[in-house]
Amino acid sequence: MKHVVIGAHLEKGDIEPLAEAIAAADLWLSGVPIDDAQPLGDRELLLRVAQTRASLLDRATFIAIRYGFTAHGQSDAAAKCAAHIERWGRTLREYRGMVEMTLKVAAASPRARPDRHDFESGAAYIRALHEATRAAEVAPEFRSAVDATLAPLAVKHRWATRDTASLEFAALVRRESVAALNDAGAVLKRDFASVPFLLSGPWPLEVFADDHE
Amino acid sequence: MTDSEEELGLLETLDHLLDRGVVIAGEAVVSIGDVDLLYLGLNIVLANVDAIIRTSQPKQIK
Repeated sequence: MKHVVIGAHLEKGDIEPLAEAIAAADLWLSGVPIDDAQPLGDRELLLRVAQTRASLLDRATFIAIRYGFTAHGQSDAAAKCAAHIERWGRTLREYRGMVEMTLKVAAASPRARPDRHDFESGAAYIRALHEATRAAEVAPEFRSAVDATLAPLAVKHRWATRDTASLEFAALVRRESVAALNDAGAVLKRDFASVPFLLSGPWPLEVFADDHE
Repeated sequence: MTDSEEELGLLETLDHLLDRGVVIAGEAVVSIGDVDLLYLGLNIVLANVDAIIRTSQPKQIK
């Protein structure tokens, strides 16, 4: 038996009975128990973890741990997370009551993804991939509108390029501001009907999880 | 909610699950057969952008 670990939480009560609570120093990890032989790529498991993740966020803010981290019991989980615990504690205490919202927008003129076969070395290929990603850009007027309407509703925000085809605006917002952010997103949708974008959330701490590094 | 909006919501949820959050150092990349989840995550990101574009376009009446 092992646990698929979903996130790091401040209180045990933030987890139970939605998932199993695993102690890690003065924090708690949420876990979904599975058999050792259970493949992590199983569709039902993925959906179950995704659903549990959403339910946990309804309960309280937590730091999301990327899918794929498993632990065999409390001591294994605590040992694997030991280097992060102090920092996570600071983040969780500061951002308690906040969630992330994400606006993903398709790049105005996406760059073609570099072809691996065009490069002699892996390093050159990685560099080209990185440059192609950095080159993705959205229409300036749309970006300005996002900065003018969504950013003021956020405690923190940042733009990031994630791939050659899209950019992302991530906002750390107080839970009570989520509705206002969605309303502002609806206005953007009306004003920029030709710009393909998606406003989604709330999400747990993902982009802002490492602010205290 | 339309089917395409539901599909988009599911893709976005899976994208966040597979491609976001803190990575614990030393954890192996999870694989499904010969395809690792990192690659699957990238595919979901790309499919997600396609879905955003698709749902943003006016529907064609046949």
